[in-house]
Amino acid sequence: MTAPVTRPGLRRVEQVMGTAISLDLADDLPAATLRELADDTFHWLREVDARFTTYAEDSEVRRVDRGELPLSGASADLRAVLARCADLWGDTDGFFDAYATGRLDPSGYVKGWAAQVASDRLVAAGAVDHCLNAGGDIRVRGHSSSGQPWRIGVRHPWDAYATCLVLTGTDLAVATSGVYERGHHVVDPRRGGPARGLRSVTVVGPDLGVADAYATAAVAMGVAGIGWLDRLPGHLHAVVTDDGRLLRSTALPLAD
Amino acid sequence: MRRALFAITGLAAGTTALVVLKGAPDARQVAQDLPAGAPGGTTAATPGAAPERAAAKPRPTGRPGTTAARTPGAGRTGTGAGPRSTPAAPRTSAAAPKSTTRKVTGPVVVTEFGNVQVQITVTGTKIVNAVALELPQGGQSDLRSNRVDDTYSGTSGTVVRQQDANLDTVSQATATSNGYRQSLQAALDQVR
Repeated sequence: MTAPVTRPGLRRVEQVMGTAISLDLADDLPAATLRELADDTFHWLREVDARFTTYAEDSEVRRVDRGELPLSGASADLRAVLARCADLWGDTDGFFDAYATGRLDPSGYVKGWAAQVASDRLVAAGAVDHCLNAGGDIRVRGHSSSGQPWRIGVRHPWDAYATCLVLTGTDLAVATSGVYERGHHVVDPRRGGPARGLRSVTVVGPDLGVADAYATAAVAMGVAGIGWLDRLPGHLHAVVTDDGRLLRSTALPLAD
Repeated sequence: MRRALFAITGLAAGTTALVVLKGAPDARQVAQDLPAGAPGGTTAATPGAAPERAAAKPRPTGRPGTTAARTPGAGRTGTGAGPRSTPAAPRTSAAAPKSTTRKVTGPVVVTEFGNVQVQITVTGTKIVNAVALELPQGGQSDLRSNRVDDTYSGTSGTVVRQQDANLDTVSQATATSNGYRQSLQAALDQVR
């Protein structure tokens, strides 16, 4: 018996939504099937990008924001996303705010939501072992091609090539929000200025869109976000403060 | 006769070296031992692998073996060996910065409780130690620490440090396409 030379599955990276999206399909399915699943996944993500981007004036989101397109005439996806954003605004005491920048910008929820939908569709199509990383927000299902549960590093906030935690699991949504990549871009909607105090917030839960929104909200809250995260039902977290302290849920599924 | 023997031995050594170099390193190994720049996928893998193998084999001449095979005199005359071994030396030392240890000192962060400064020790691309050079002492900061620990049950505060492990993927704040190119995830995507 010799070890298999090639691993089953498919790996693909594409630039969508202004960031890199990495798909790892670990199921031992026919190559043509895997290619088709990957094609469908990236097609969906590009479709979401075209409709929800705030960078193109003719996107559905921009048209709704300018009042050119009534909400009743918008797509079911957009209406569902805006309804979820309204829920999240309530859940986060207003700190997740699709209008924080002064105009409609649901992208704090959209990327995670789109990846979650893509992952759900993969499971429905029989690809039960996969990892979808949408610009750092991750949905894993099943096992990697090594046969082990997925291993997810959380980036060290001061070192792009290091991790500060390693999580493991077979059914996790892991979203990280932080100020180290694009500066203090998270706006505290209460004060109107950039949020300070937390350098990185990682939220683990069942839904990637919600986890992403919670992580963004906690960054916006600043240090008070730590206590808020700790009382959040159904979610676990890891926080790195501006002064280099790591605080995390004791139940976080750490590797090893 | 002797020269022919040298030539054949040299050729064999060269072939072995090629086979060793061809034997692709374990993807995970490369991911852990990442060169800081991590440029192209294949180019990143090869220089990463070469010094590692060369170090593992007690036979550094195996690497320039192909050249040695073409000039069988290399092992025979002192003058021939000199210039041959010299270019080999920078190659091994070129790998050295990856494993050297350096200390990086962060800025002094002024907080209402006092100043905080952290220094990390980096070996290669791994953080092996993190120490606080300056932390608020006594008084109000201790009160705050206790209060934080008491209030936030289920969380524990520690100095953030690097954890080393095999990874499938990396969660991080959303990077631009530019930021992605200089990320651990990009490196993982390249080596697989």
